[in-house]
Formats: sequence, C-alpha cells, structure tokens
Amino acid sequence: MTSTLDRPAAPSTTPPPAPKQTLTFRQKINRWDVRYSPYLYISPFFILFGLVGAFPIIYTLVVSLNDWNLLSGPGEWVGLENFRTELTSPLFWNSLFNTMSIFILSAVPQLIFALFIAAVLDQNIRSKTLWRMSILLPYIVTPVAVALIFSNMFGERYGLINNMLDGFGLEPIMWKTDTFPAHLAIATMVNWRWTGYNALILLAAMQSVPRDIHESASLDGAGAVQRFFSITLPSIRPTVIFVIITSTIGGLQIFTEPKLFNASSATPGGQQRQYQTTVLYLWDMAFNRQDFGRAAAIAWILFIIIVAFGLINFYLSRKIASVNSRPSRVKRQRRGKHGSTQIPGSAPVSANVAAPVSATDRSTSTSEETPS
Amino acid sequence: MRNSRRTTAIAIAGATAFALLATGCTGAASGDDGDNITLTVTTFGTMGLGDLYAQYEEENPGITIKATNIDTGDNARTDAFTKIAAGSGLADVQAIEEGWLGAIMQVSDQFVDLNDYNADEVADTLTPYKLAQGTDPDGRIIGYGTDIAPQGLCYNGPLFEAAGLPTDRAAVAELFGNDEASWDTYFEIGAEYKATTGKSWYDHSGFVWNAMVNQLDEGYYTADGELNIDGNAELKDRFLQLAEATTSGLSDNQTAWDWGGGQAFTDGSFATFVCPAWMLGVLKGQVEAADGDATTGWDFADVFPGGSSNWGGSFLTVPTQSKHPEEAAALAAWLVAAPQQVAAFQSAGTFPAVLEAQSDPGVTGESELTEFYNNAPLGEILAARADGITAQFKGPDDSVIQSQVFGPPLKALDSGSVDGEQAWSDALALITELGVE
Repeated sequence: MTSTLDRPAAPSTTPPPAPKQTLTFRQKINRWDVRYSPYLYISPFFILFGLVGAFPIIYTLVVSLNDWNLLSGPGEWVGLENFRTELTSPLFWNSLFNTMSIFILSAVPQLIFALFIAAVLDQNIRSKTLWRMSILLPYIVTPVAVALIFSNMFGERYGLINNMLDGFGLEPIMWKTDTFPAHLAIATMVNWRWTGYNALILLAAMQSVPRDIHESASLDGAGAVQRFFSITLPSIRPTVIFVIITSTIGGLQIFTEPKLFNASSATPGGQQRQYQTTVLYLWDMAFNRQDFGRAAAIAWILFIIIVAFGLINFYLSRKIASVNSRPSRVKRQRRGKHGSTQIPGSAPVSANVAAPVSATDRSTSTSEETPS
Repeated sequence: MRNSRRTTAIAIAGATAFALLATGCTGAASGDDGDNITLTVTTFGTMGLGDLYAQYEEENPGITIKATNIDTGDNARTDAFTKIAAGSGLADVQAIEEGWLGAIMQVSDQFVDLNDYNADEVADTLTPYKLAQGTDPDGRIIGYGTDIAPQGLCYNGPLFEAAGLPTDRAAVAELFGNDEASWDTYFEIGAEYKATTGKSWYDHSGFVWNAMVNQLDEGYYTADGELNIDGNAELKDRFLQLAEATTSGLSDNQTAWDWGGGQAFTDGSFATFVCPAWMLGVLKGQVEAADGDATTGWDFADVFPGGSSNWGGSFLTVPTQSKHPEEAAALAAWLVAAPQQVAAFQSAGTFPAVLEAQSDPGVTGESELTEFYNNAPLGEILAARADGITAQFKGPDDSVIQSQVFGPPLKALDSGSVDGEQAWSDALALITELGVE
C-alpha cells in the first residue's frame, strides 16, 4: 500500500510545501521492489542464456579467428583465414549441398504428409485419441534407434529393401554409395520421425478453425478437398509457417541420421562424403581432423546461414500475414467477391466460404446440394 | 500487496536457487573421502579388465575404483580428445588406442611420465616394441601397453577345401610361404581361388591396406616425422598391387564393421581375412551374430603376407589432470601385469603385451576362442606372429590419413569405379584438400 502512496511524490518536480519527507527503509525496499524486481524475475533466463548461449557463440568466434588445434590448443591469430579456407573448400560446399538436398527431400514431403494426416485426423473418426497418439510414436523413439534400424534396412548387400528388390528381379539400389539414393534414405528417416509430430501441431491448428465455416461451405456444395484448400489451409497458415521455420532450423542442423546411416564409415557421412552434412563436416573437422579453428569457422558460417533463413522466413511470414490478415472478414469477403485468385473454385462458393452465412445466401444456393 | 510481497520473496528465492543450480553444476565429486581414494578408469571396447577392479579394491584397502567403459574406440577417442581440449575430465587411468597415439604424442606433456612412478619395474616385462610405442620422443614413458596385436591369417576351411586348397593349418602356412610369405603369393593364390570358385578372396581392401602399411619400417611418416606419401615408391607399389587385385575382383566390397550383421562371414562370400589378435574375438562375435558357430569353419594360420605386422592394441596412461598420479600409476602397473593380462585374454582375446603372460598356460591353452577356431593354438601362433615386429612411427594425422585419405579411393576401387593409378592420384589430391601435415 505504501508504494502507491509514494508514487505521486516521485515524479512531481515541484517540491511540496510540506517538510521534506525522508523515506523509511521499508519504503525504499518497496520502491526498489516495484522498479527492479521484474528484471530480477526475468534474469534467470538471461543468465542461463548468457552462459549456455551467448558465451559459447562469442567464444566460438574467438576460436575461429585462431589457428587452434583440438589437443594442443590455441596457436597463432589468423584473422579471417579460417573463414576464407572454408568458403573456398570444395568439401564445405559439398556438405552444404548435401544439407540442402536432404533438407528439401525431407521438409517438402514431410509437410505434405503431415497436412494430409492432420486433415484425416480432423475428421470424425472412431477412437480419435488412439490414432492421434499413434502418429506421435515415431517421435518418441530415439533418433539413434531409428537411424540404426533404417541403416540396416537400407543396407546394400543384406538390407531388407534391396532383398525385396532382388525378389522382384530388380537391380539393387546403392543406398550408401550413390548420392541421391543416400539422401533419399536419410530424408526417409527424418520424415518418419517428424511427420507425426508436425501433423499433431497442424491438427491442433485445424481444430481451431470454426466449424460453422465448414458447414456453410458444404451447404453450398463445397467438397472435402475444396474445403480443405479453401478454408482449412488459409486458416492455419501461421501454423504452417511455424512448422516450416522449425523444420528449416532442424533440417540445417541434421547430424544423427547421416552420422549413423553408415556408422562404421571411416569418413563420417559416406566414404566419398556423399551425405556428409555441414554439422557432420564440422564434427569431423573438430574431432577427427582436430582443427578446432576451422570447425569454429564452419559453426559460425552455419549460424549465419540459419539466421539468414530465419530472417527470410520471418519476412515471408509477415508478408503473408499482412496480405491475409485474419480479423477482417469484410476484406476477405470483398476479395472473394472480386473473384480472388487465391481461392480455387467457383466464385459463388468462395464468396460464401468467406462470408458469414446469411439467410439470403442460403436461399440463393441451389437446393440439391445439401450436405449429407 | 502483502500477499504479493510474499510471493515476491518466494520468487526471488526460487530464482536464486535456480540460478545457483544452473551455474553451480559441479563442485562435489572430488575423489577424497578421508583416507579413501577414488580412482577413475576409462576403457573402451572389450579390454577384458572389467572383472579385475574388485580384486584390486580388495587387495588395496582405501582405494575405490570407478570404471567407465566406452563402447567403441572411436567414441573413446572423441571423449578423450574433448577432455584433453577442455583441460579436465580425464580419468585417473585413461586407456589410449594405438590408432590415436600419434595425435596423443603431440601433447605427451599432458600425461604423467611413468618413470617417476617405478616404470622400470614394468618396462622390462613388456614386449619391447610395445614399450617403444608408449614412449614419447623425449624418452618419457606415458603409457603401459595392455595388449599387442600381431596379425595372422584367418581362413575358412570349407571354402579352401571346395577350391581344392589345403585346409590343414600347417599346410596353409606352407602354401602362403611360411616366413617367406609375400603379398604377391597371397594375391596369386587369390586369383586362382577366384578363377576356380568365382568368389572373392578378402572382404574389402581397407583392412588389407592397413596391414600392408603397418608392416613397413616407415608408414605414412618417416621416422623423424615427415609426411611420407607423395613420392614414396614402396608405398605406391603396394597400393597399385592391392588395386590390381581389387579391380580383378578379389575384394568382396563389404562394409567393414557391418558385414551384414555377420552374414558375410557365414555365407561364404570370401575365404580369407586379416586377423590381428583382437580381431579373433570380433570375427567370432560376427559369426555368432549371424547364427554361425565353430562349424562355419574359420581357422587361424601362423603366417602373414609380407612378414610380421601389428595392428592396434591399447595403452594405459595417467593424465597430469589426475589428482592421484601415484596411486593411478600403481593401478595401471597392476592391470598390465601378467596375471591380470592372462585374465583379460581369457575374457576378451586381447593378446598380452607383457612377455610373461604370452607363454602362460592360460593364454596358450584351450578356451572357447580356440574351440571356435578349429582348436588352433591361438596363444602360440600369436606369440610367433609377434616376432620381428618393430614400432612404426605414427604421426599426428596418421589416423586421418588412414581413414580419410586412403579410405575413399580404396572404397572406390572396391566398387570398381576407378583404376589403381586414378585411385592413387585421388589419394594425393585428398592430402592437399584435407591439409594433412
């Protein structure tokens, strides 16, 4: 209570005529409490972040500017030499190509399948919880176990898949020798693990799409597919963007799957580095080739790339969000009426989809298209 | 307000506790507890020392041993290197593998000179070349050898018989030329075998190359530490010899350490296999993983192409990080002594570096392992195979050269995508690309 009494005293510049009132200790404490304790409450995060986030990032930068052997420690200060070496190293670009290739092969199908699964689970099906929990199962299994099982399945000589191909009289695929099949196999592991997880996130978003919009659309004769593309997808766009961002960050840092895909390979990521991703290259540089300085430089380049991707994502998502700002139903309606390109399908239906259902709408719609 | 003040206090207390928890991390876990000393030991793979610690604790009251075993040598290397780089965390007794000894020697000053702790008592008992490997250029003994790995030739009896080759151990040794055994003979017989049966001779070329390099007086480095690959005619000759054999189909292009879960050893894909001592246990494990047993027919001959050769083996070191170097050195000395190494051989098949144990009945006698190898006298053969091995200088990048400079071209040879000359120049290009020194 006292603190509220003090308050007017503090900001007023003109001194009151009353005798100068010195604050008691208690009052001072209260004042500090109000002013500074919020910072104290949020400080644990920043202290922790400083220790395990900011400090290592800066320390890595310092390491990257030195000729630094893993075992014998810092050598000469070399400035940006390590960065220059990496940016001109074909092995670095190879690793970046592999990362991007595996990322695209995993992120795109992952999103499509996750959307499809989420859409199916969003329907009225029996034992919903069972299905929803089941698709999360692959996520619970540790990536190491996943990698070992898939690595075995994709074995070139004794693997399950090549044995099956052989059974059909087909040529075996060199999963661990040829670049593209290897990328595909690793992307499969990633997809197997993450599709269910992303599907659940998308499902949660889908469930918050108002049902009445769906109902009115189906009254107007929109089929399930059309409703999915015209209602569900536009409504969950922010969540889709979130999923894309997280899978981008994860995809650029992929390590376990390519490392364990051929765990015994003397060169991590395949004998000819066919699937050596950037993080794997970094690890190899630090712990096998013992060049800590260059490894730190790779870490920083990767950090910058990820930040760049993050910014692009952020920019795109803001752009999309501002085009498609949610509360203005009026706006959407207007766009719908102007025959917007965004909604595929016949104009009257799309207009109805966006607009609140009104009596007139219903009366104008043809009677034979009643929902089942 | 009153209420909120209390919550404030609680929140502050909580936050402080959390911050302390988050920042404090270690602090406990120091080794001493009065007179009690806790020694940590880190080993890897199957070194067969696990059962011995309890015995040591019993014989030395006041000493407690906390042992960690890391699954593979590669993981152990990453672990050890990280801890050397961090300057803390190494065990009091740290096992080191021959493959990364070259890198370790760069920082040999981070390991205790065991001469300060009665190394002379141990030194004389060890195989001389093993002792030389564990000694740094300044003459400091930084590691006691636990096991040595002389190589013999594993061969599959039934496959030899099917190809009309002798199957008796002595006759096989004779076939390859006994002490005169050369790689020429080995590949010639392989070519005949291939012609008769249409099958491969060895599993993949990487291991064979390993053996070929390890038995040279100077390998990837000269004895005084200079890189010795480009322009090394002897090395290139051997490489081309192996390349020719491989491209003519003697290699089975297997994936090492995978071998299809051991099936490669039971389905008759290849007939010979290079076997350093510790590989005997590995091969047995692979065969058993694929539901095979002694009847699969693997045998071990007292012969090796190109003469005696060592591949691998471990050392016990005491890092200077240790707070109890004296006790740790005593433990290491005890672990490499004969009775303990006999026990280790019996449980893991690692051939003792300590001379006395090599002729011990526990090593030369029968065991599950000898039974698996058609009752071959493994201990005797290995002791004979150790004859004439010299310590080859291992440079700082030795293991990188082995795996990343020669690994890829050898794999390309195995899969038939390049010829020998091309593979050699690929290897030289990789040296530049990787910046090996």
